[in-house]
This record gives sequence, structure tokens and C-alpha cells, in this order.
Amino acid sequence: MTQRTYGEGETVDFLIVGSGAAGGVLAKELATAGFDVVVLEAGPWQQPSQFTHDELAVERENAMLNLAFEPIQTIRGSEAEPARRNAGRALAYRRGVGGSSVHFAANYWRFRPIDFKERSKWGAISGTGFADWPITYEELERYYTKVDWEIGVSGAPGPFDPPRSRGYPLPPLPNKSSGVVLERAASVLGLHAQVSPLAILSKPYDGRSLCLACGHCSYYGCEFGAKSSTLATVIPKAVATGRCEIRAESTAFRVETNARGRTTGVVYWDREGKERRQRSRAVIVAANGAETTRLLLLSASSAFPHGLANSSGNVGRYIMFNGHAATFGRFDHPLNEYKGPVASRTVHDFYDADPKRGFYGGGGIDARFNYQPIGFALGVLPDDVPTWGPEYKRALADYFTHSVRFYAHITSLPMASNTVTLDHDHPDRWGRPGLCLTYTDHPDDMKAKQWFRDRTEELMHAAGAARVWNQPIIPVDGGVHLLGTARMGNDAGESVVDRYHRAHDVPNLFICDGSSFVTSGRGQPTMTIQALAFRAAEHIARFARSHEI
Amino acid sequence: MRAFAAQIIPSDTSLPGADEAGAVHFIDRAFGKPFFADVVPVVRAGLADLDARARTLGERDFASLSPGRQVALMRQVERTPFFAAARMLVVIGTFADSAYGGNRQGAGWTIVGLEHQPTYSSPFGWYDARDEVNAKTDA
Repeated sequence: MTQRTYGEGETVDFLIVGSGAAGGVLAKELATAGFDVVVLEAGPWQQPSQFTHDELAVERENAMLNLAFEPIQTIRGSEAEPARRNAGRALAYRRGVGGSSVHFAANYWRFRPIDFKERSKWGAISGTGFADWPITYEELERYYTKVDWEIGVSGAPGPFDPPRSRGYPLPPLPNKSSGVVLERAASVLGLHAQVSPLAILSKPYDGRSLCLACGHCSYYGCEFGAKSSTLATVIPKAVATGRCEIRAESTAFRVETNARGRTTGVVYWDREGKERRQRSRAVIVAANGAETTRLLLLSASSAFPHGLANSSGNVGRYIMFNGHAATFGRFDHPLNEYKGPVASRTVHDFYDADPKRGFYGGGGIDARFNYQPIGFALGVLPDDVPTWGPEYKRALADYFTHSVRFYAHITSLPMASNTVTLDHDHPDRWGRPGLCLTYTDHPDDMKAKQWFRDRTEELMHAAGAARVWNQPIIPVDGGVHLLGTARMGNDAGESVVDRYHRAHDVPNLFICDGSSFVTSGRGQPTMTIQALAFRAAEHIARFARSHEI
Repeated sequence: MRAFAAQIIPSDTSLPGADEAGAVHFIDRAFGKPFFADVVPVVRAGLADLDARARTLGERDFASLSPGRQVALMRQVERTPFFAAARMLVVIGTFADSAYGGNRQGAGWTIVGLEHQPTYSSPFGWYDARDEVNAKTDA
């Protein structure tokens, strides 16, 4: 794609770090509003034709994540423990134009009114930073609708949906067998299985192809452009304005500030590793909850000794991933869950937390079996099935096409002791400190997982599965939702950004991505990240026009 | 390795196994891949150990043993890091894309019953197919 480029000496209006779910939206909105925008993206600009169904490369070797320059992350339960190398990725995200929106599963639930004011309704929870958001669902609603229509979301209303000002632009994708058995289970138990909204096209939309049901949404890139990643949606539009340059393979490592405490631009390494500088009138960090933290902490200076925008000390704190719990079932007839998008139906009856349960926590339960054959053969079968030999072989043949998982997506509480910090012992290729995750589940989060697994198990029995087995409940050791590390709030002593995503400490620095979250929601955060980004872009443009930046 | 693989996912009259999938060809190539660098020495040492155990039973090597005696030897080592690593290679070799040397003629996909196509169309399974029929009848 040919695009406008900006010279080294030029000062642009906005420098955006990150081209993912939030950065892509911000770039398109601000460029469309007439501003000059440069986006720095650490990873490559891959095209949909480069995406494959190669399970070994994608799911085992993490080929989509473009991790070569940082092989190691560390993890520990608390500050008192030594950090250990993590077998997988504790903080999992994709580097590349479009960010993790390229390989997400595309579940697009909205948050609900309760998510933004749950602290007021529920009360304080000891050991946590549980707090209300400084904005409400009602304020965010029209931006959710904007996401639906701008990027293309397929769905249909459900019984517990929050109010919406406009219907879905696209009808639901076909129901899957998993959705049918979840509907059956829900009706037996007096619950409701509703259509799962997906950022995947059920019909051609905005010049893009409809979904061809290849079955490789989660972890994979969509080679048809049917999945509504920012790579397929807003980024081409940002470039088409002629006012936006997406600078791939450009790794930001310091936000620069002047004597007046304002940002002046960003220093980064280009693809050859050469240090470069891009000046800008304002900087927007949208690099995800992990990389945003690293960049802010690495931008410390004498004026900002604990990291940029970190006078509250909350940069990197309160990381939340969303908890999970699940039950598997094998049915008498084939479901063939390897075909089509990940999930088609979700039970939302347990969304709200309920004091009667004896702990804080809520969530949604969908039905899916998003395993390709290697992942399935190495890790899914019930414990009493041998791991090799004729019985193993028989199980491989009997279970792959006939199995499903009821999968609960659950709240995580924000705790000040759960952090992303710099790991100076494990630098990356550039010599930057690596990332260390410090995390221990809040007791209520563990109870919520157990409670939800009881629900998934009941549902699986109610669905009539011939064989039911549970996925073990394990403490969180990382995840793909990187939420809360630069939280939003009205009080500069308690939060990093204000209700417009402006850093409390730096007037021309904005931070907008999953790090802005105050609470975790019940999973599926990308829809809300994008609603926040559309909203932030509108306010940032307003501030810029009225010289309030 | 080939004999070991054939015991992990055995062949039978109805479905191919790791042998027909050519998992061993995948493993030959995997031995040169950085991704498997950690497991290669473990697997080599474990295979040599299986051969040594076979020699104490009076056979030339592991592959020369009868299938029953192969299984008995594998049971002796099935909780070792070698076994876990070698089993993983067999499974990946059986199911990974055939461009890597295994999963010949889609044998892995045949084992699990996956119709290997670039795209699919609804209905996907038995339950949603029936649901569609019911929906039409209701209408």
C-alpha cells in the first residue's frame, strides 16, 4: 500500500505508539479529522495473503506474535519471590500492524452499565483497587455503536443486552453445533443462550469478504479479510486519508519530554536498529497493557523519576487478565467444531455478581472447541484416556469431531500487588529491560472460577453429553487480555489518565488501550477498547482544535 | 524412532497411524529446527537407552523386539522427560502440515476425522444440520 510519509525533520500532530485495536482506530479517526499522524508499530506489516493455517508455526512456535527480538518473559507470585522464566508467554500479544486484533477470536460483547459502576453497587473489596470508572455505559454507548458499524460486527439482540441506539449492521453468523447443544442445555436449566456477537462478517460489508468458515479465527490471521481486525478495517482507511503514515518495524523506546514537562515526540529503533526520532505535538500510547507500561517506565527522567505519567505509582499496577473455567463434553454425533468461527452462542444469565454466591464475580459462558489437531492430541482428552497406544488412537478418532467445551469468561479483580514491571536481568535484542509479571489471584477470583466451573459442568450434563470432563482450575499465570495497567480515573493520585485518556501528569500525552480499564469486565475486552478509542479520538481532536493540548 | 512412533499412534485396519503419516520424516527434519533444539538431545539419548535395554534382552535394538516387548520397554520409561518429548514429536509429526514432512496424504487428519478443506459451509455438524431442518419445519 502506498502511503504518505513524513520526513525526519517534520513535526506531526500526533505520534501514536501501536497499531492494534486502539491505535488503529485512533489513527483513522485523527487522520480523517485532518491531523497529520505517524503510527510506530514494532512488528511487521503482514498482508492477509501471508496468513496460513499452519498449526505448528502459529500455535506452537507463536509465529503470529513476531517475538524474535524478545524470547524471554518472567513471572512470580509476589515481589518476595525470585522471577522465573515462563514456559509460555505470560503477557501474550502480537507485534505487527493490526496488533492482536489480527489473531483474536473476535468475540464482541459490549460491557454493561454495571461494569462501569460496580464498586458503588457492590462496595469495597479488601485487598483490591476495585473502583468505578469515571465514565458510564450511557456515555460510551454511541461509541460501541460506532464500533459495530465502522468495523463490521455480526450479531442479534439478546435478553440481557445493555441498551443500544442502533441494531447490528450484520445478521448473526450461522449457528454451530456447539451453539445448538448450549441452547439445549440452557433451556433445560431455565437459562438463555443468546447469539454471540462477532467482529466477523456474515455478509460482504464495506468492500470486504464475508466469512468463509475456515475455522482459524483464534490465534490465526484471516486471509480473507472477513475478521474485523484493524489491519482489515480502519488502517487502510487511515492510510487512504493521505495524512497517516504507518511506520512498521519501528520500536519505540522513549517518549521524550521537555523542560516544561510536555512530550516532544518519541525515540525509536527502525528495522535496521538505527535510533531515530519522530517529533510530534502530542503523543498517544496505545501499545497494550504490557508494552504501554514498559514504554512509560523507560521514559523516566529527572522530572519524572518513576516513569512518565507515573506520579500515582500506578503504571504497571492492577493488571487483570479475566479468569476462565471450563467443562468438556463428548457427544454421540459429530459437532465438527473445527469449522466456522469460534463460538456462536453465549449464556449471560450469570453476568452480574450476586452476594448470595458468597464472593464477588460474574461472567459469561460460551460453547466452543477451538482446537486444531496438535493442540487437541496433546492436551484435551480426559485424564483416564491413555496418552499413547491403541486406546489413545481410538480416542483421537472418537473425540476430535464429537467434543465441545463450555467456556466461562470471568471477572478479575484489580490488585495493586499484581503488576507488570521491568526485568533488567532479561533484556531484549535492543538491550531494553524485559517484562516481569507478578500475579496472584484474589481469593474471590479463585472462588469465581470454581463456581463457574460448577455451572459449565451442569450445563454440559444438561446438554446431554455422553462423556463429561472438567478442565483443571489453575491459578492465572498470564494471559492475552492485558488490562488495567494505566487506569483511568478522576483522582490524579489514584489513576494514570483522566476520563479523556489524558495523562494526569503530562498535558499532551494520551494513553488509550486495555491499560485504561478500571475493572476487567467479563472477558472479551476488545470491543470496549475500541469504543474507548473512538471516544478518545473525538475528545482529543476537540482538544487539538481548541488548542487545549 | 519409527518403531517408537508406531506404538504411540498405532496403525490398524480402519485408520492409519503415525507410521503411515510418516511422523518419522517430520522428526528427522525437526532435529534441525531451532524450535526443537532443547528436546533433540533428550530424544537421542532416550532412543539410545531403549536400544541398550533391548540388547540386554538379547535383541540387536529396540526396533527388532516384538511389538509386545517394545510396549513393555516403553512402559518402563513412560514417565521420563525423554518419553514426553518423543511422544510430542510423534504427535506433531502426525498432525502438523504435510509441508513439514509428516501427515502424509493427510493421514493425521484422517485419524481425527477432519475433512481438510480451506473453507467450509454451514451446516457444520449433526446438531446444527438438524436445527436447520427443524427451523425450516417450524417456519
